[in-house]
Amino acid sequence: MNFDFELIIQSFPLLLMGAGVTVQITVLSVGFGLLIGMFVGIARLATIWPVKMLAAVYVDFIRGTPLLVQIFLIYFALPLIVGQRIDPFIAAITACSVNSGAYVAEIFRGGIQSIDKGQMEAGRSLGMTWGQTMRYIILPQAFKRIIPPLGNEFIAMLKDSSLVSVIGFEELTRRGQLIIARTYGSFEIWITVAFIYLVMTFTISRFVDYLERRYKTDDKH
Amino acid sequence: MISIKNLHKKFGNLHVLKDVSAHIAEQEVVVIIGPSGSGKSTLLRCINYLEQPTEGEIVVDGIPLTSEANINKVREEVGMVFQRFNLFPHMTVLQNIALAPVKVRGMQRAEAEQVALVLLEKVGLSDKANAYPEQLSGGQQQRVAIARALAMKPKVMLFDEPTSALDPEMIKEVLDVMKTLANEGMTMAVVTHEMGFAREVGDRVIFMDEGRIVEEGLPDDVFLNAKEERTKAFLSKIL
Repeated sequence: MNFDFELIIQSFPLLLMGAGVTVQITVLSVGFGLLIGMFVGIARLATIWPVKMLAAVYVDFIRGTPLLVQIFLIYFALPLIVGQRIDPFIAAITACSVNSGAYVAEIFRGGIQSIDKGQMEAGRSLGMTWGQTMRYIILPQAFKRIIPPLGNEFIAMLKDSSLVSVIGFEELTRRGQLIIARTYGSFEIWITVAFIYLVMTFTISRFVDYLERRYKTDDKH
Repeated sequence: MISIKNLHKKFGNLHVLKDVSAHIAEQEVVVIIGPSGSGKSTLLRCINYLEQPTEGEIVVDGIPLTSEANINKVREEVGMVFQRFNLFPHMTVLQNIALAPVKVRGMQRAEAEQVALVLLEKVGLSDKANAYPEQLSGGQQQRVAIARALAMKPKVMLFDEPTSALDPEMIKEVLDVMKTLANEGMTMAVVTHEMGFAREVGDRVIFMDEGRIVEEGLPDDVFLNAKEERTKAFLSKIL
C-alpha cells in the first residue's frame, strides 16, 4: 500500500479551514446551548407545572432522538413550514444549539439541585425574591460545579458537529469527504481528519482541567 | 408583633403542627423548647413562610401572610438565623451582609458596606470583613449570619437552633450576641436546647410536644414548677 504524504501536506490547509468552521459551529452551538440550557434547566425546577412540563418534553424529545435526525428535521422539514429554503449554516447552528441546549439543561438542573437548599432559604429569608436568590446565590455556585460536565458537553458537540456534513455544510469532515472524492486518498485524509479532531478535543480537555483546578470545583470562592 | 391562629401544618400524612395559636409581643423574647420532632422548628419556619401552613392564620407586624407580595414584605422585616448558618460560600463576609440591603432595600453599595462594618463590630468580627465563610470557625460564621440578618433592620429575629451545630466552646460567643440583642429590645423567637439561655434571657417559654403547645409561661415557672407531666418528663431529661 502506498501512503501518500504529499497528499496530506497539500490537503492540510484546506482541512484546517474546515477545522476552523467546526470550532465555529461548536462555539456558537454550545454558546446558544448554554443560554437555552440555563433557562430550561431552571424551568425544569419550576413549580408552575406547564413550564416544567414544556421543559421536560423538550429535553426528552431531544435526548430521545438522534442528532442526525434532528439536523434533517430542521434542514428539510422546517423550510416547508417557514416557506423558504434554510441556509445550511443556519440549519447547522440551529440543530446543534437546540440539541446542546437539552444536554446543558440537564447539567444545569443537576448543578442547581446540588446546592444545599439552605442557600435558597437563606436568600428568601432575607427578603430576596426567588429570581434574585437564583441569580446572586445559587447560579454562581452551581456554575463552578458544572464546569467539568460543560467541558464534556463541549467536546461531545465538537465531535457530533461532524454530522452536519450530511447537509453539505463544509466543516472538517465534509472537507475531508470532498478532498477524497477528488483524490481517492481516503486513508490519508481520514487519518488526518481524525488527528485534527484529536488535537482539538485534547486541547479542550486540558483547558477544562485547568479551569477546574483554578476554580477548585468545591464550594470555595 | 406576631400572631398565630389555629395553625396546622401537614407534610403528606404527617401532621406536624396541630392547631397551634401563639402570640409574640413587641420586644418580647420567646424561647421555644421541646423534643425533636415536636414541630418547634416548623412553627418558626411558618412565621416567615419557609414552610407553607396547611391551615391557619399568621399576621406579622400587621401584615397577614397571604399573597406572595406580603410574604416578601414580611421576610424583609423578619430576620432568620439557621442551625447550619447558611452563609453564602462564594462571597466574603462583607458581601454576605451587604447583599440583601442592596438588592432588596435598594441601598447604595458603599452605604450597605458601611452598615455591614458597623454590624461586624457589634458581633466582634471587624477583622473578618474580607474573609470567606470557610475561613471562619462555626461560632464566627453564626455571628456573621446574625449580622447578615440584622443588616435588613428586621423588627423580629427568628433563631432556629442557632447553637446546635457548634462546638461547645463556641456556643457562648453566639449566645452573648443574642443576649445583647435581647437587651436592646429586639423581638425574638428562639428555638433552642440551651436552657441556661432560656432562663436568663427568655421572657416566656413555650414547651411543644407532638405538634402542640403543651405549656407556656415565665421561664422560672416552667422550669421549676411545670404543670404538665410531659413538660416535667422532658425537663428531667435535659436539665
